[in-house]
This record gives sequence, C-alpha cells and structure tokens, in this order.
Amino acid sequence: MKTLADLKKIREKALEDLKLRSGNTRVQIVVGMGTSGIKMGAREVMKTFLEEIAERNLTDVLVTQTAEKRLSSEEPVVEVIEEGKDTVTYGNMTPDKAKKTIVEHIVNGKVVSDYVVQPGD
Amino acid sequence: MQDISLHLLDVIQNSVSASAKCVKVRVLQNVVENRLRTIVEDDGTGMDSHTLQKAQDSLYSTKKEQVKNVGLGIPLFKQNAEQAGGAFRMASELGHGTVLTADFPLDNLDRLPLGNLKDTLLNSIIGHPQLDFNIHLLYRDNAKELCFNFDTKEVREELGEIPLNYPDVIEYIDQTLYEGIQKTNMEDV
Repeated sequence: MKTLADLKKIREKALEDLKLRSGNTRVQIVVGMGTSGIKMGAREVMKTFLEEIAERNLTDVLVTQTAEKRLSSEEPVVEVIEEGKDTVTYGNMTPDKAKKTIVEHIVNGKVVSDYVVQPGD
Repeated sequence: MQDISLHLLDVIQNSVSASAKCVKVRVLQNVVENRLRTIVEDDGTGMDSHTLQKAQDSLYSTKKEQVKNVGLGIPLFKQNAEQAGGAFRMASELGHGTVLTADFPLDNLDRLPLGNLKDTLLNSIIGHPQLDFNIHLLYRDNAKELCFNFDTKEVREELGEIPLNYPDVIEYIDQTLYEGIQKTNMEDV
C-alpha cells in the first residue's frame, strides 16, 4: 500500500537528482486533450508518454495537456517544444507512435518526420 | 465517447479552461440505490444562467452559438446520461465555479461503462501540475462502505520543491490511484 511516507523517500532521491543537473525542463510534450482529441484516443497517448517517462526516468521532460483547438482532423495531436528549436507537431498519434517518439525524438533528438503534421492545416 | 471516464476527462479539461485552481472529482457507486454518480466541481470562472443553459443544450445548435471553450462535450455527456435512464445537472455561479453531476443507473444495459478512471485522473493531475485535485471515491452496498480519498495538496506538502510530474511521483500517484480504485470496486463498473 502506498502511503505519504513513500513520498519522503522519493523527495530525497529527487533532490539528489536535481543537484546533479540544473533542474530545468529540457523538453515539453503537450497533448491536445480537447473533446475531439479525447474521442480519438488522446488519453491513451498521454498515458503512454507518462509511462515511458517514468520508466526511463526522464526527469527533464514535462508532459502537459491542453484543450486548445489545433488540428481537429489530425487528432490526437501532440506538440514537442524545445528551447531554441522549432516546435514540432505530431498528428494521428497512437500509443505505439508515442513510444517511438520518445525513443527517436525525446531521447535521440531526431524528429520522427513520418508523424509530423503542419499546424494550421 | 466510449466511456464515462472519458467524459470526466473532458469535463475536467473544461474546468481547467475556466481557470480553476482546484478541481474536485467524486465517483459514488451506490449499489443500494442502483446509482453511479459522478461529480466534478471547480472553483473556476463559472457561468451566468444563460451561458449555463447554452453549454448544455448546444448539441443541435450551430457552431457559432456554442459556448466558447466548452463545445460539444457537455451536451454529449448529458445525452449519454439521460439515454441510459440517468440524470444530468449543472449548477454554476459567475466568479465562483461550476458543479456538474451525472447519474447513471448501475443496472441499465444502455449505460456507458465507467472505463479507465485511473488514467483519466492520472492524466488530469500530471497534465496540469499547477492545479490541485481532490479525489473522492465511494462504494456502498447493504453490507459495507468503502472509500478512497486523494488530495494533491497533501502530496505537494510532502514533496516540497519536487514537482508532481517528477517520474517517481508519477509512478507513486499512478499506483495510489490504482489501489484506491481497487479498494472501492471501481474497476469493471
């Protein structure tokens, strides 16, 4: 059974982690969670990102969600935002595509061009 | 939407869009009264009575008349509750927030399943680390009452400067919600 006491241990470990790096977010993943995104499976896509991040201990990656309308024809839509780089928009995402995006883009820094959609379409 | 928890995710997102700081989510499974009740309450901007009416009834209206930032999610939720013999209520006050209640008869064959409540809650919490969430799950039958409470404020107090979306914290919240859902028989509802 998880208790609040477990959080104390997590906190100690996290503080050590944060000492080793600057503590900044390197990359932000924003999942479109509007009504149409949810209908098309955005919840599972976001859950996959969260699982991968927890599993790989990617402490400098932030996953958030937004209800802002973007490309309703390409839902679920995900944006990858990195400082100093152009924002990349991925469309028609699935849990499998989310896994591949983590490996190729987030970990290895290579945009998965097959999944890229143009914002404003 | 395929299940009730997807509707909840959508409604919670509305609360976020309405600048809520704290969102309360209640899921009450009352076997004695044959009722599954879901409540989402926020302290966001709220709506006046005219907007509140339109937010619920815009299913067949034109795009232009739809309430900004709300869209079709609420009318669909209402329709799904009412078609399964349930009820749907929304109350709101400008400047104070909104409460949305959807009731479903547990034994109705047309009722949507509750679905993956854990992922709805986890996504909402981690996806909006700046917001506070208060979760309350309750199961009641003739013999017993089982309850689970989760409040991100308590988690924050323990964590100090460590954010809610830190990987180990995500796992902690995921596991805690899983245990709570098991404990209150909210799986396979």
